[in-house]
Amino acid sequence: MLYLSLVFVFILSYSFYFYGKKRALSLKFKKNENLSSLPDYYGYYVVLLVFFPAIIIWFFLLIFKSNFQEMFVMSPVLFPDVATWSSGKFGLIMNKISNLSMIVNLSEIDLTVGDKSILKMASESEIIAAKNLANFDKIYGWSNLTLFIILPVLLGFLATKSISGKLNAQPIVEKIISYVIKGSSYIAIFITFGIFFSLVFEAINFFRYVNFMDFFFNTAWNPNRAFVINASEGFDQEALKEAFGFVPLLTGTLLIASVAMLVAVPLGLLTAIYLAEYASSKVRDIAKPIIEILAGIPTVVYGFFAALSLAPFIKDVGEGVGLPVSAESALAAGLAMGVMIIPFVSSLSDDVIKAVPQSLREGSYAIGATKSETIKKVILPAALAGIMGSFLLAISRAIGETMIVVMAASLRANLTFNPLEPATTITTQIVTSLIGDVEFDNPKTLVAFALGLTLFVMTLILNIAAITIVKKYREKYE
Amino acid sequence: MVDQNSNYALQTSEVYVHYGKKMAINNVALNFPKNEVTSLIGPSGCGKSTFLRCLNRMNDVIDICNVKGKFLLNGNVDIYSPDIQVETLREKVGMVFQKPNPFPKTIYDNVAYGPKIHGIASSQNELDEIVKDSLHRAGLYEEVKDRMDDIATGLSGGQQQRLCIARAIAIRPEIILMDEPCSALDPIATAKIEDLINELKENYTIIIVTHSMSQASRVSSKTAFFHLGNLVEYGETGKIFTKPDKEQTNDYITGRFG
Amino acid sequence: MSSLEKRLAAEKRFKFYGMFAMTLSLFFVLILMYKIFSTGSGAFVRTTINADVYFDPNFIEVSSNSSKKEIMKASYVDLADQVINQNHPGLDEENFIKVREMYTRKFDYQLRDYIVNNPNVIGKTVNLDISASSDLDQIVKGNYPRNVPEAQRKINDYQLSILDSLDSKGKMSKTFNFWFFTNGDSRDPETAGILGALMGSFYALLICFSFAFPIGLLASVYLEEFVKPGKITDIIEVNINNLAAVPSIVYGLLGLGMLIGVFGMPYQVPLVGGLVLGFMTLPTIIIASRASLRGVPPSIREGALAVGATKMQTVFHHVIPLSLPGTLTGTIIGMAQALGETAPLLLVGMVAFVMEIPGGAFDPATGLPSQIYLWSESAERGFLEKTSAGIMLLLSFLIIMNTVAVLVRRKLEVKW
Repeated sequence: MLYLSLVFVFILSYSFYFYGKKRALSLKFKKNENLSSLPDYYGYYVVLLVFFPAIIIWFFLLIFKSNFQEMFVMSPVLFPDVATWSSGKFGLIMNKISNLSMIVNLSEIDLTVGDKSILKMASESEIIAAKNLANFDKIYGWSNLTLFIILPVLLGFLATKSISGKLNAQPIVEKIISYVIKGSSYIAIFITFGIFFSLVFEAINFFRYVNFMDFFFNTAWNPNRAFVINASEGFDQEALKEAFGFVPLLTGTLLIASVAMLVAVPLGLLTAIYLAEYASSKVRDIAKPIIEILAGIPTVVYGFFAALSLAPFIKDVGEGVGLPVSAESALAAGLAMGVMIIPFVSSLSDDVIKAVPQSLREGSYAIGATKSETIKKVILPAALAGIMGSFLLAISRAIGETMIVVMAASLRANLTFNPLEPATTITTQIVTSLIGDVEFDNPKTLVAFALGLTLFVMTLILNIAAITIVKKYREKYE
Repeated sequence: MVDQNSNYALQTSEVYVHYGKKMAINNVALNFPKNEVTSLIGPSGCGKSTFLRCLNRMNDVIDICNVKGKFLLNGNVDIYSPDIQVETLREKVGMVFQKPNPFPKTIYDNVAYGPKIHGIASSQNELDEIVKDSLHRAGLYEEVKDRMDDIATGLSGGQQQRLCIARAIAIRPEIILMDEPCSALDPIATAKIEDLINELKENYTIIIVTHSMSQASRVSSKTAFFHLGNLVEYGETGKIFTKPDKEQTNDYITGRFG
Repeated sequence: MSSLEKRLAAEKRFKFYGMFAMTLSLFFVLILMYKIFSTGSGAFVRTTINADVYFDPNFIEVSSNSSKKEIMKASYVDLADQVINQNHPGLDEENFIKVREMYTRKFDYQLRDYIVNNPNVIGKTVNLDISASSDLDQIVKGNYPRNVPEAQRKINDYQLSILDSLDSKGKMSKTFNFWFFTNGDSRDPETAGILGALMGSFYALLICFSFAFPIGLLASVYLEEFVKPGKITDIIEVNINNLAAVPSIVYGLLGLGMLIGVFGMPYQVPLVGGLVLGFMTLPTIIIASRASLRGVPPSIREGALAVGATKMQTVFHHVIPLSLPGTLTGTIIGMAQALGETAPLLLVGMVAFVMEIPGGAFDPATGLPSQIYLWSESAERGFLEKTSAGIMLLLSFLIIMNTVAVLVRRKLEVKW
């Protein structure tokens, strides 16, 4: 229904274009009025005045649907004292009503007889609320549809009525559009604010439970210890102290990222050098897109590959030479991640190397240097800043990478620098703490946001550094 | 004093143009007689194109460009007055650029675009007529009449430039500004455009910037010589090219610099 | 002269390193593809057991006159058991269970679906290919070894002997597993399908596109055409570049914390998943679109302005249409990235077990990559195959989208 009403908004707005234009034309030809703008613009004028209010209201109703649902179900008419309920009680009753709503509308169940315990336990108003809930979608949908037929038509007629020869529609239309365009570009800023505030807000909630210093400097990570002793005392403060120690996550993240960089940096850089300086254009045309396929493969595929083939393979090889290797070793996850990052390093370095002016190469060749000497002594030093920038971006990618480590790394925190041992990462723990029950009043859930904020800040610093370095580098050779 | 009933299509005085802090035009005053061709000549960077672009306010697009001075259209319309809509001005003062810049649309749409946005035609037939007529006047109609729906960028350079002239004519301007219209064209295409300019002056006032002195002498009746942002000399084309008053002009004409 | 020889040897070595690195990178692509294809191709084939099915009216609660709804509601478990007894006469209770395990657990559903399509079959005998259980399927495909001790096998000796006798009678066969494309998720690998996840991803991408494309296009138009360079554009510029590099999981946290936590939007639905993917794709689109707008030569803008077009008309009549192919290419590439993104879907709950095929952006759903993740976490060997097949499907969509992007660029882009 909501979508149908969206379709109506589009169709009605569109048809008002013709209506507005027709009205303008009839003013011009039948009443011989002079129009200030082209007839088309009167059409656009009506369309904009219909479309934008309607679409904004539509989005509002879409986004706040569940709030309306709650208001509708928990109406003070049914529950006079609803305003005084605690959020816990509210949630419980809402839960009960939504369970009830699944059965109240089944015609086979006669509400008056039998011992349907859940119905018996429910009060009269709860059953009515449950029925309301069961019908809510229908009611909301139909009222939506009605609204979005009446509203555009009403707006359309009002807008059309305001058309006269004196009304200069073109500047008005252009003004509205310029606001819309401006607004669109501010959305990018809003998203950043959204990210920042949703992370900070929930992270602050987390630090109400767990001491800031405990989080950043403790070396033990056991989120399952954060349980409620009993309702009156809340969380076990002693256990909380020991539950969320960030250090092993950081070391695990850095360990896996280092393995990845050890793979990606030499392979990526050498590939870039080969493609930029040695390869014939034929080889280049074939090899470049194939390597870029590696970058386009979703990370869930790498994760699957790491967990399914790479980890057992490394374990077997390790045991073959008498090394104890974990099935969830940091090495496997790091290797898969390294392969994923190769094209990232190679294509960025390729751009950077190509940006080095030809005159530098020629100068080096002119004094009799070989190609490799030119590359090592002239090109790489000249391109160093840009290459460093691409490494930083690659590190940021590795730290933020999620699926590979969720699938191939360990869930258990382990403070180690041995890549053969299991290790966990920040991203793995974010996912683990959010899969399953999400409770915004439990540090086990909230810790994800504290971790997310830390991750965001870490990658932000790396990104800004990388972007600044690369930009400076580009300017140097432009 | 400005003569209200003058035979001038455009009168300018005390024109100063700055790019940021750099002065591009320094106190120029020039009047353009109706239905005549005026050439602006001078070495590159002398400010002739900048001056031309002031006349239909194309310099508005450049943020750092600051224009001061008096510009009167038909003796009574101040083109830099806040009441003047720049779009309406450009409807009256058309422009043709150095490099042909047809829109990558059909030949028909290129010419029809101006009339469409200004609402000049009230019916499809009228629009067709305008397009046909404009192409005729630009001397292009016979060459393109069978392929009006072809994309304009497929035309040759000379044809493209004549299409741009047709596009400028289609909105029925009073003045056409031409910014080195032949500099990107071969001699044959150039000759065609020059013939065209001679025909067009019957109905339009034409102001043309050119770096070719022979072209200026062929097409224009008045010539203005610019140097380093100053208007050095202005007068009948014949006089400027045979016995200029200023030595600078003479040096330029005889090829001693430029 | 030996010094020059040394230098030339170093030159050769260096070139070899480069070639080696490139070959190794290419090798990784190959090995990855090989692994996926070799494990995944099995999922498109399903083992079936041929059986004579007598639709015995005594074991069916419905008649040929029953409505479709009644037929759908009735139970066919007894009928399924009866079919097994008929095809494997003389089973004691213990062996009956063993034989029953060889057939799919959804035997009764398969019978029901047959009756729904052919209501007149009741009282008649029909020869049908019944789907085997996933474990049997894996034995037949050779993914489970036969020559290991019975305790290490999912299929015991008795079942193997039945299998061999069925095989010798020519009753075992393989068919194309269309269920993989038409079913939702299931606990049983043999009936699990990808359609639910596919639709989930489809709705999410639809939302993602309708959010990110118009806003990305208009934002880039504002930044390139309307605003004068200054502080605000610098801030937006840095912002957009950063947003493009923020880890996807952080966008997931944004979806969870803001859309679900603050706005109260529902969990597990493509609407939220799509919006989060849209937030992620927006910077990609803006960057591509700005590059494309910059590619439109200024002479076009001057040409339009010179015939008296307003700024807005110049942009909307000329500049945007000319830059659209580049913007579209960037959008399609961004959408392809969004299709492969898993972490944000995980955080907004699009990773639950959902059997039904979602009918809209408000129905609980998984996405293609999150379904792959879900299956990869399952223990059964049958799901391993499905995981790889799911990956094959995902990769084919990505290849198609990227090809379309390249074609759009080649065919529509105006050359200057």
